[in-house]
Amino acid sequence: MAQDSVDFSSHYQFWMQKLSVWEHASTLETQQDTCLHLPRFQEFLRQMYEVLKELNSSTIIERFPTIGQLLAKTCWNPFILAFDESQKILIWCLCCLINKEPQNSEESKLNSWTRGLLSQILSAFRFDTKEVDLFIQSLGYTPEDYCPGLLKNMVLSLVSELRENHLNGFNTQRRMVPEKIRFLSRICIPLVTLPDIEPLVEALLTYHGHETQEVLWPEFFDAVNEAFLLKKISLPTSAVVCLWLRHLPSLEKATLHLFEKLISSERNFLRRIEYFLKDSLLPEAACHPAIFRIVDEMFRYVLLETDGAPEVLAAIQVFTQCFVEALEKKNKQLKFTLKTYFPYASPSLVMVLLQHPKEIPQELWLQTLKHISEMLREIVEDQTHRSYGGPFECWFLFIHFGGWADIAAEQLVMSETESSEALLWLLAFSYSPRDGSLQRAQTMVELKAALIHLKKLFRSPTLSAKDLQAVAAESPDRDPRPALCQQLSRRLLLNFLLWAPGGHAIAWEVITLEETSGSGGGEISPAQSSCFSLLLLLALFLDHNNSQVKMS
Amino acid sequence: MESLLQQLERFSEVLAVSRTAAVSAWGPAAVRRAVQWARYLRRAHGRLRAALEGRRRAGPRLGAWGGRDVVLSARLLGNRALGAAAHRCLLRLLFPGPAAPAPAPAAALQARLARLARRRGAVRLLLRGGPAEDAALRTQAELLLRRLRDGPAGGLLDGLWARAPRAAFLRAAAAALLLDPAGPAPGELLRWLLGRADALAALCRDLPAARLAALAARHPALRRAYLRQLARWGCRLRYDLPSGRWEAAEPAHVSWAELRGRFLSLARAPPPLKDAALAALEAWSARDGAFRVRGLSVWTDLLLALGPGAGTDSLGAASSSGVLGAGGCRLARPGPARSPEHAHFPK
Repeated sequence: MAQDSVDFSSHYQFWMQKLSVWEHASTLETQQDTCLHLPRFQEFLRQMYEVLKELNSSTIIERFPTIGQLLAKTCWNPFILAFDESQKILIWCLCCLINKEPQNSEESKLNSWTRGLLSQILSAFRFDTKEVDLFIQSLGYTPEDYCPGLLKNMVLSLVSELRENHLNGFNTQRRMVPEKIRFLSRICIPLVTLPDIEPLVEALLTYHGHETQEVLWPEFFDAVNEAFLLKKISLPTSAVVCLWLRHLPSLEKATLHLFEKLISSERNFLRRIEYFLKDSLLPEAACHPAIFRIVDEMFRYVLLETDGAPEVLAAIQVFTQCFVEALEKKNKQLKFTLKTYFPYASPSLVMVLLQHPKEIPQELWLQTLKHISEMLREIVEDQTHRSYGGPFECWFLFIHFGGWADIAAEQLVMSETESSEALLWLLAFSYSPRDGSLQRAQTMVELKAALIHLKKLFRSPTLSAKDLQAVAAESPDRDPRPALCQQLSRRLLLNFLLWAPGGHAIAWEVITLEETSGSGGGEISPAQSSCFSLLLLLALFLDHNNSQVKMS
Repeated sequence: MESLLQQLERFSEVLAVSRTAAVSAWGPAAVRRAVQWARYLRRAHGRLRAALEGRRRAGPRLGAWGGRDVVLSARLLGNRALGAAAHRCLLRLLFPGPAAPAPAPAAALQARLARLARRRGAVRLLLRGGPAEDAALRTQAELLLRRLRDGPAGGLLDGLWARAPRAAFLRAAAAALLLDPAGPAPGELLRWLLGRADALAALCRDLPAARLAALAARHPALRRAYLRQLARWGCRLRYDLPSGRWEAAEPAHVSWAELRGRFLSLARAPPPLKDAALAALEAWSARDGAFRVRGLSVWTDLLLALGPGAGTDSLGAASSSGVLGAGGCRLARPGPARSPEHAHFPK
């Protein structure tokens, strides 16, 4: 408690000093400094209110003799009054200062002075001449009617100046000088969350001047981005894209914000991921190659950091889907080659991967998959093809369009004939891109064996969940890569459950068994979590193929 | 509904009093009642407005009641005559603090007052970038139009002409006519203006030439009235031979320079207006005999002052809105010379 009050009085001194500096000079530096400190000062005002409301007026004066000055300087600073809720908190603080029973003339004077400040916040500072005031009055209106209208019209006229238009009949054709534009961007920083100012913010963001340097204040971009991420301002997508294109840190913050949302949500089901992604406007903004590359880079980083976590894979996949959707909608307007989005990939490979399975007749799926597999294999195994990046780059590209891996698994499961080598390779590659050719060959052999085994099982009339579980659990004894084979087996197993006749009934049994059989000791087995993530990925695929199968 | 309208009327009295020294008689209870009344009326107004969306009968009268609770609060807060106890009560009512639950009317009024303070801060900040006369004038025009729409206009404009600062009123009226050329409210305004000779004369006199040109371009009726007014002014000028200038008979009259300025700005306007103005000049000049001699007709001299392009252009063009007088004179060729004894040449 004592520590708090010591802290508070040192803060008090700090802010008192700041306010004095801001008051005496109204230069660019002080304005910039003020804007930087606005959120913290608001916090301080809140803390002060909490302190003041417990005390009565005389105690306040005793403890903080200069509080009158502090509050007065705050009142006279239009940046502070214009910011967020500062004016409201300031009014609360002033109300605390009013003495309920003034004992002497000093206290009465203080009351009177406080009343003056309060009314000043709300009604002083005449905007116009006395003549105009009288005119408004004679119309039967008040300054409270005039102010909102004036603000709206000031914004309108600034917006149209920025757009180099005429206002009807008022013929104000002026080109705005860069200094004025910079000034406006500074002024808007405290005002960003005021709805009346939105048109001006939008106009500033989409303003394309003829200067070579960025003319807007960087803090302006920060403030707008913050407000946008916290949903305190509503801007059209085009304005947000302009913001991100002009100010890289804002884009990065927006992407990080999205990641936080994706991570912090509990079980991130498909719908939720898609909703968060679309809500963030990032997929649509990514139609600009510069934005796409940066977001993709951040996804890549997170993927590497989390060692290929399935949630991140799912997020990348959904992001790519939303991105492709947005790209198709914009097809007439933006014309960038695929190479600008995927500079490290073979263009023909990208073209094939971009196709949505829905657009290709089902008979051709096998052929397409073989084609993809061949192309990837060629790039991965051919040492001279370094221009298309190593195995990781290929894999990273491939997992953007992870739907194809799902289809490969499905095809393997459903085909009556011998499993295609190409598909086996594809599946093995998608789970473990860095394997050498020997290891991969071995994985393919194991996969094949597992497939045959599962096919036999599913053909047998007496199929039980325990049998299947045995299949899945068999792998741990097999070294040296139990995890990979286990994952693959589960993948195949789940596919069988989806596609094979009678599979659904067994599915529930298996899943329940999976959940209850942990690896002992109450920890969540990797089996369980990977089970759910596989379910998730499958659900992804099914959703987009409008399948009748329900996965809950 | 009627009772509600009566309540609104009575509240307007309260509102009027809130600004005066009479509030010194108000105690905390009176303040509480006033604020509660204002809050109630705001809610009622909102519901009534929604219910009357389609009907215009009683709707217009409600237009002005939207923000009366804010007005009352601001007035009482700023009124020094309000007693200390009453003022403290007012503060408690208006600013209950963060603890007030959100949808309550108390919190709503608090939020509205905070927003007003914020908007004022915004205007102050924006004004640092320079004065905003256009925006201010536009706002005044909008309020004028709103008042015309909201209330019975019958005595309104006459009343404004009598009471309001005339210069501000005329500026706002002109701005209103430019803002929204078509529409019932400006139509009413225009009709009144055309029917009121003194207002029209003052409008033509006080507004800058360019603004009047814009008005005349938009409203044909106003154009005709304006030209008539210019004619009247021109006829009052007398040519002073010794100095070689046109002089106003009285200092209050419009000067030659001013008249010329008016016509210059009309000549710069787009065709329909430009042609009409020049054609008028032609006609008046023709009526005076169309002699190309300075000092005989103010109209001829104006035509000459407008420059060589002015006269011939409108004459040369076959499609000019011909208001050429019966004389049908052509300024391209020199007019017949007057006999010397009719001229006042110096001996």
